[in-house]
Formats: sequence, structure tokens, C-alpha cells
Amino acid sequence: MSDASDAVRRTRSVVRAPQSFVAGLGLVLLGMFGLWAASDLPRGTLGAMGPGMLPHWVAIGVAACGSVLAVTGLAREGAGLQTTGLRGPLTVVLAILAFAITIRPFALGSVASPGLGLIVAGPLAVIIGGYATPEARFRELLILALLLTAGCMLLFGDLLNLPIPIFPTALIEAASGTIPSRVMLRLAAGALALAGLGLLALERRSTRRSRTDVAPHAMTT
Amino acid sequence: MTDLLANLGLGFAVALSLQNVTLCFLGCLVGTLIGVLPGVGPIATIAMLLPITFGLDPVGALIMLAGIYYGAQYGGSTTAILVNIPGEATSVVTTLDGHQMARQGRAGVALGIAAIGSFFAGTVATLLIAALGAPLTRLALIFGPAEYFALMVMGLAFAVVLAHGSVLKAVAMILVGILFATVGTDLETGQERMTFGFGFLTDGVDFSVLAMGLFGVAEILRNLDQTETREIARARIGRLLPSWADLRQAAPSALRGTAIGSILGILPGNGAVLGPFAAYTIEKRLARDPSRFGRGAIEGVAGPESANNAGAQTAFIPLLTLGIPPNAVMALMVGAMTIHGIVPGPGVMTKNPNLFWGMIASMWIGNLMLLVINLPLVGIWVRLLKVPYRLMFPAILMFCSIGIYSINAQPTDVMLIAAFGVFGYGLIKFGFEPAPLLLGFVLGKLMEEYLRRALTLSRGDALVFLERPVSAVLFLVTFTILAAALLPSLRRSRDAVFTEA
Repeated sequence: MSDASDAVRRTRSVVRAPQSFVAGLGLVLLGMFGLWAASDLPRGTLGAMGPGMLPHWVAIGVAACGSVLAVTGLAREGAGLQTTGLRGPLTVVLAILAFAITIRPFALGSVASPGLGLIVAGPLAVIIGGYATPEARFRELLILALLLTAGCMLLFGDLLNLPIPIFPTALIEAASGTIPSRVMLRLAAGALALAGLGLLALERRSTRRSRTDVAPHAMTT
Repeated sequence: MTDLLANLGLGFAVALSLQNVTLCFLGCLVGTLIGVLPGVGPIATIAMLLPITFGLDPVGALIMLAGIYYGAQYGGSTTAILVNIPGEATSVVTTLDGHQMARQGRAGVALGIAAIGSFFAGTVATLLIAALGAPLTRLALIFGPAEYFALMVMGLAFAVVLAHGSVLKAVAMILVGILFATVGTDLETGQERMTFGFGFLTDGVDFSVLAMGLFGVAEILRNLDQTETREIARARIGRLLPSWADLRQAAPSALRGTAIGSILGILPGNGAVLGPFAAYTIEKRLARDPSRFGRGAIEGVAGPESANNAGAQTAFIPLLTLGIPPNAVMALMVGAMTIHGIVPGPGVMTKNPNLFWGMIASMWIGNLMLLVINLPLVGIWVRLLKVPYRLMFPAILMFCSIGIYSINAQPTDVMLIAAFGVFGYGLIKFGFEPAPLLLGFVLGKLMEEYLRRALTLSRGDALVFLERPVSAVLFLVTFTILAAALLPSLRRSRDAVFTEA
């Protein structure tokens, strides 16, 4: 992400404000897409407006705004395009997708993902997401993931009773009848928290020995 | 008057129950927390915490959510003063003089005056809501669909005028918001619109999903672009209580700030954000020695801080009386109310007096609590600021995912926040503001409904909006402010309000 700074590129071409010009074109495309998407809906009359009336005119409005914006981008001097790194957006999207797919069984066409519950989806999101910045350190993220997941399991699953799957569906089926789900939840959360705290203690000790400066993990629940 | 007192009495009786006091405290605490932490705003937080309130009774739930919102205004100033980063969008101006005061070793006084000013503003705003509630509700009852439509158009016009940057871009954002709002099943005909056959779009895009994407995920992406420079004022915080001289100097500014913030907050169209900017500009104009501003002038903290708190609270007025959310946070409150089966609008006051007055009373109690949460506990908040962002954003990411999943138990909702996050990030990169989009989205659904109803009643005669006096006046106001915003001279002074700050 070395290019993440707000570099302003000055172009000497016809386009004098690339930011407005591209933004305007984007709006025109969006408006045209809206027009197309709403084209099969009956528009009705003013007295009895159909479902297509408002989308149709709003889409035209969006496209009109876009074309004016694009024209000003040609006519007036203005800001250039901002460069952006791909690492941040891609990793964050990946992390959210990982959570969405693993939290409960999710079918996409003929392929279905196994429902793994919060206990897997949570740490997955934290650890993958953490790599959105080049400063990421695996150990640190692992500790954060363990402690946060334990906290969230207790908060959302136990305390608030939200209908969010905590464990893998396979595990729930296997364990049904043997252990009450509440007990299992608390045990698992306890185990995660212990593991997290243990790792944290280990890390603290090793850093003290090597005397490297590590930021405190004060935020973990 | 006696009515007002009796009503406030009822409100305090509701708000002072053990459960509601606890919830109010929790809300204020969470609000302060997210206010202090830059990069997490009230919009994303309330969207995240919406599912938590499912199990509560509606009064308690709304008291807590409201606490988060105005608590964030208090917390935001702490970060602004100590770290020179606005914890919230509304505390941008506070960084100017507040941080300078901190550099001069007067951080404590700056925090103190910010908290006292906010408390004063909160008290006045609470009274204002209580006083205006009844008359506005009566006014709302004579509103027909045409008037409602006109009112919402006016709200959107205000949103355009009050947004930063290009007017054209703000208009475009509002239209995009309305376009998004039309996705899903059409309420009147039951026909699916622009769903492309996707089942998860049948009910339209959930407001909290859009809000979380645009304000939670996009915010993370934007922050990741900036390398972190957090420099907590090394100097001691010093004494918190301002001296008499400080108070005397700040009092008129706090008064003016409160007035400006209250008025702007009532305006539909996110006026609350403009409040602090306007207050700062006015203080600078009125000051005998404007050059002191930007170098630690106490008026530059008192005015804007009072304004942002007053605005945050008066923003509840249009929601509670007319049922029109003036900004995104209020739109989430609409969501919270509908979940509990309450229709926001003039009916709230008569059908749920407990809720209406309880919430108002809780705001004053919350402001009192915030004084305690903020001043003596400031040390804790400072330590929180030392948490590096690389640990904070994965946590936010996880909370966002859990929160959104819990609302509808749909993995597709979680995927959508990623999509809207990237979309919002793109908007920011191209110089668009996401706030008008969200407002357009919220009002879009209501507007279409009222427009259709008004036109059906008038048998398709569009002139109905100009024939009915109230709606004609509202449209006149709309055109005037839009025209004014486009006039070159006024445009320059509008830009000046934002750039000066």
C-alpha cells in the first residue's frame, strides 16, 4: 500500500478535473442501469402511479446529474483521481465474505458451505480482516480473535440469547442430548478466553525478555 | 405550562425506573466509547446494536439508543481536544481551539468547558423538545400527504445546502439514495422492482445494511489508507474545572452555540452537522480579537460543543412529532421503533406518552450522567486512545458482521455490507459524501408513498402541491434555499463556513 497517499495526478489532457469527470460518467452509467432495470415496470399515470414511475424519473435524474458533472470535469480545473491500494478493500471484503459463508450453511447453486458457527466465523473474520494493513502480526490477531470471540459468544449467545449459530452444525447434532447447549457454550467460551489469555501472557513474557516495544492490547474485552 | 410539568413528571417517573436508568447509563457509556474512538461512529454502532434491543421493551431500547447518539457527541470532543483527531464528524471544529488549549496545558479546562457547555445545551434542548412536542404534533395532524411530501422535499433540499462540497454531487447522492430505496417489492401493487430475481432483494435493501456498509465498512477502508498519527497531548490534563474568568468568557458563546445548534438540529436534512461549524464562524465574527481563534480561544470550544450537543438532541423533534427522520441516526431510530411496533409520528405522543416523555426525560438524565462519565473518567478514555487501529478495525469488522447477521439471520445481508462498503469507499474517493445518500434512501420510501397518495387524491393534478397553502409555502422555501445555494455570492460564504473551520 505504498501508493495509498492522496497523490493528485495532474493531467494535461482535455479532462481538466478527472475526479469529477469519472464520477460523472459513473453516475451516468448507474442512471442508465437504473433505467434499464426499471424499463419493464408499468409507469402508470400521474393519477395512478405505477411501480415504474419513480425509478424511471429518478434514474433519469441521476444520469442528468452525472452528465452535468462530467461536463464540468471537462470545463473547469479540479481535483485529480485519487490512487488507492487494493490490499485494504480486498482483504476486508474477503474477511466479511468468510464470515457470511461460514456462519451458517449457505447454498450457492449446487455447492453448499458447511455451517461452522460463530466459533469459527468470528476468528476467521478477525484474522483475515487484520491483514488489511501491512502492520498485521499473526500472534496479536490470534489473541484478539480468541478473546473477542469468547466475549461475543457470551454476550450474544448467552446473555442476549440472539439466534446466532455458535457451533458447527455437525457438532451440535453430535452433542445433542449429551450436553445442554448453554453449558457447552460457556465451556467453549471459557476455553477460548483461557487460550487467548495464555497466549497473551506468553507474548508479554517474551517481549519483556527481548525488550522490543509492543503496543499494549488494552482493548480486548 | 402545568401540562408540560405534568408530562415531564410522567417522563421522569418512566425514565427513573431502575431498568431505564441502567439502560440510559449503558447507552451513554457506549456512546462515549465510540465517540472517543475515531473511526467508529454512532450510525454504525446503532446499526450494530439494533439486534440487542430486540429483547428489551421499546422505551428502554430507545432510551439506550438515544444515549448512544448524544453520548457520542460528548466523547468526540475528548478525542478532538487531546489527540487533535475528531472522534465524530461534529467535533471537527473543536480540534482547532481545543487542541491548542491542550498544548498550552489547559486540556482539563477545555474538556471541562466542553462538558459543561454540552450539558447546558442538552438541558435547553430537552426543554425545547418538551415545549415544542405538543404544538408540532397538533400541526402534524392537519398535514395531508401533499404537505408531508413537500416537507420531505424541503428536508432533502436542506441536506443539499448543508452538505460539504459540491451541490451537484449532493443532489446526485440523494437521487441515488432514492433509487436504491425503490428496489424491492412495490407496496401498492406488490410487484417486484429491480430485484433481478434475487430472493434477498424482495424486501428491498435493509436500511441498517446500507448504513453499516457506507458508514462502518467504508470508514474502515478509508482509515486504512491513512497512516496513523496519533499524538496524545503529552502535557498533563490539569484541572478540569474552569475558573470564573473562563466561565464568564465562555458563557455567551455557549448560549449562542446552543441557540444555533438547536435551530439547525430541528431542520430536516442533517442540520446538526452544520451546527458546530456555524457556531464557530459566528464566534469568530463576534470576537473582539478574532486572531485568538485557532490559538486556544475558549469561546471556540464552548460554542461549537454546545451547538453539536443541542443539535443532536433537537434532531429528535421532527422524528417524534412528524415521523420524519432528519438524519441517518434518526432513521435507525425509526427502524428501532418499527421493530417494536411503534409508528413514528404524531401518534407517538398520544398513543405512547410513556415512550415520548420517558425518552425526553432520559435525555436530561443522560446528560447528567455524561458529565460524570466524561470528566472524572477522562483518564480511562485517554488510555483507550492508545489502542492501535490495527487491532481496532478487525474487532469493528467482526461486530459489524455479527450485528448485521443477527437482524435477519441472512448471510446475504453480511455480504451486502461488504458490497456497500466498497461502494461507499469509492464514493469517498470520488469526493461524494455518503450522508445525503442515506437520507435520500430513508426519505425515498416515505416520499414515494406520500407522492402517490397526494396525486391519487388530486386525480393526477400535480398543481395540488401549490394549491394547498402549507405545501406551497414549503415548496417556496425549498426553491429559495436551493436557488440561494446556487448563487455565487452565497456559495462562497457557504464554502467559507466549512473551510474556515
